[in-house]
Amino acid sequence: MSSSSYWGIRLTRRELLLATLASGALLGSGVSFLRWLIDSPLASATTFIGRADSYDADIRGIILRGLNELGVTATHLRGKRILLKPNLVETHEGAPHINTHPHVVRGAIEAFLSLGAESVVIGEGPGHRRDTLEVLEASGLGSLLYEDRIPFLNVNYETGIQVPNRGGQSRLSTLTFPRVVQDVDWIVSMAKLKTHHWAGATLAMKNLFGIMPGLYYGWPKNVLHQAGIPQTIVDITATLRPHLAIVDGIVGMEGDGPIMGTPVQVGAIIMGRNFPAVDATCCRIMGIDPYKIRYLRMADQWLGPIHEGQIEQRGELISTVQKPFALIDAIPAHRGIRLR
Amino acid sequence: MLTQRENSVLSSIQRLKARVTPTGGFSPTGSSREDRPDATAWAILLLAAVHPGSELLEPARTRLVHYQLNDGRVVISLNYPEVFWPTALAILAWHPSPAHQVYQTKAVEFLLNTTGKHWIRTSDSPVAHDTALRGWPWIEHTHSWVEATALAMLALYTVGRGEHARVKEAIALLLDRQLPHGGWNYGNTLVFGHELWPSPEDTGAALTALAGQVAEAAVQRSLEYLATRVTRIRTPIALGWSLLGLKAWGKLPKDAHAWIEETLRRESRYGEYDTASLCLLLASQVELQGLSPRH
Repeated sequence: MSSSSYWGIRLTRRELLLATLASGALLGSGVSFLRWLIDSPLASATTFIGRADSYDADIRGIILRGLNELGVTATHLRGKRILLKPNLVETHEGAPHINTHPHVVRGAIEAFLSLGAESVVIGEGPGHRRDTLEVLEASGLGSLLYEDRIPFLNVNYETGIQVPNRGGQSRLSTLTFPRVVQDVDWIVSMAKLKTHHWAGATLAMKNLFGIMPGLYYGWPKNVLHQAGIPQTIVDITATLRPHLAIVDGIVGMEGDGPIMGTPVQVGAIIMGRNFPAVDATCCRIMGIDPYKIRYLRMADQWLGPIHEGQIEQRGELISTVQKPFALIDAIPAHRGIRLR
Repeated sequence: MLTQRENSVLSSIQRLKARVTPTGGFSPTGSSREDRPDATAWAILLLAAVHPGSELLEPARTRLVHYQLNDGRVVISLNYPEVFWPTALAILAWHPSPAHQVYQTKAVEFLLNTTGKHWIRTSDSPVAHDTALRGWPWIEHTHSWVEATALAMLALYTVGRGEHARVKEAIALLLDRQLPHGGWNYGNTLVFGHELWPSPEDTGAALTALAGQVAEAAVQRSLEYLATRVTRIRTPIALGWSLLGLKAWGKLPKDAHAWIEETLRRESRYGEYDTASLCLLLASQVELQGLSPRH
C-alpha cells in the first residue's frame, strides 16, 4: 500500500504526518485512528471508468490503464499475493448477467500478473448454493481458471478467523473471514453492476458478503440479513479493508436484481481504491442517487466520499456511459432512488 | 474381484482414513490437521457403511462429544455456539453406538426444542412462502431453510421421532417451499412476485427427507426437474444430493456410478474434495445411516 494512500484516500505528506501524530492522541481517548482518518474532511477519492463494448474487448489493457490512473504501479504489486473475489451468486441458462463475467476475471488476473504479482487466487462463497464448484463450472469461470492454471478457493468451507467488528453498525460484535484473507496482500472485489431488491444496488461493497464463509453464516447468509443488510455491508467493508474494486459494468442487471433482473448493456468497467466512491460512481452510471442507498449514506464521509464533487473521475465521464437502470416500484428498496 | 464401484468407494475410504487427526476426529481437507465436526460426522457415516467394525469409528464419535454444549447442540467450533447445524449430522453419526446414546438423546432434545426465526406473513410480504412454518435454521436466530431442515428431519427419523409434531411441521414447510415449477432452492420460492430457480443439491436433500412421507404426486415436478438436471452435474455436493434424492424415490439413474467416477476424476481439476463433499458424493453407492431409502 502506498505510504500516501489509505483506502484510496489521497493525503499530502503533511496531512499524513498530522494524521499519524493525531492517531496517538486519539487512540488514548478510545477513538480509533481509522475512524478519525476517514471522518476527516480531507477525504477525496479517485475513480476510473474504462469503456469496453463487449467481453471480447482488451479487458486486461483497460484494467492496466485503470490501475495506472489510480496510481497503482508495478512497485505496489511486485511480489504481492492477490485475492480476486468475483460475484458468483448462482447460475441459470441464458442468464450470464447474474455473475461477474469470466473474461473480466481473466483480464484482472493477466493485469496483476503482468505487473509482477507473485500469485493470484480466486475466492468466492456463493450465498444461495451449497455446491460452489457447480456454480463455478456453470458460470464458465471454472474452465477458464483451469486453462490458466489459476487456483480457486471455495471460501464457504474455509475455517474462519474471528475478528472484532470494526464497523460497529450492526449488533455483530465480531466478523468471521476465511483464513485466506490473512495470506494475501491485496483483496480485490470484482463486482457486477446490478440493482438489488433488498439493498437497492449491489456493487463493490455488497459483493463482499460472498467472502463470508457459509460455514458460519449459513445458506443464504441469513446471519447478515438478520443483523441488517446495510449495516453489515458497512461493517464488512470497514473491517476487511479491501484494496481495490473492479466492477463489471459491460453488461449489468436492471429490474429485479441480483438474480431475476434483465441484462442491460452499459459498456463500462469501473475501478477505484475507495469503495464508497466506486459504488457511488456506479450508482450514478445506473441513474441511481447514491445518497438514497442506505449503506452508502452510512459510509459517506466515514469510509469514503460519495459526493460527486469529492470524487475525481478518470477515464470516461459518467455521462458518456450513464444508462438509467429500470427500477421496480413494488420493491421498497427501489422507491425514490432515481437520480434527479 | 471388486467391482469398479466397490473400488472407488474403498479407495476413497483409504483417503478418508488419512484425514483422521490425533483427536480422533477427521479434518475437512487432506492438508488440514485440525478436525471439524461436520467432516467427522460425514466420515463416520461413510466409514460405518463400509467398515462397520472399523477401530476409527468410536474415537471419532467420541470426538464429536467435544463439540456438544450443555443444551445438546453440536457446534462447528466452540468459539461459535450459535452455529449448530452440525447437530443433525452428529445425531446420524452417533447412531447406533450405545456408548454415545446419552449424547445423541441430548442432541435430539435440542433439535426438538429449537427452531428458526419465524413470523406471520403479512399481505404485503415480499416473499411468498409461509414464514410461520417452523423447520430448522443453519445458525441460531435465523430463518428455517431447506437443507438444514431436511438434515434435521433425517436425523429425527433415524432415532424414531418421525411422528413428532415438529417433523410433521417440517414436512409441511418443505412442501410449502417447493417451487411452483418443481425443485427447491435454499428456501425462497417467490420474491417480489418472481419465481426463483431451483438448485439440484437442495432438491435432492428435500426429496430425501420427504421420501416415504408424501405421495409421489406431491413431488412429481421436482423429481422430473432433478432427473433431467442431474445428467449435467459433475460436482460432488450437487451430484451427491441429487443421487440420494432420486435413490430415495427408487429412481437412481443407471449412469449414476459413471457420473460419480467422472466427478472423482475431476479432482485433478479442483484439487482433492473436502471430506463432507467426498462422502456425500459416494453416499448413494452405499447404505448410509439415515440417508438410505426408508421404504
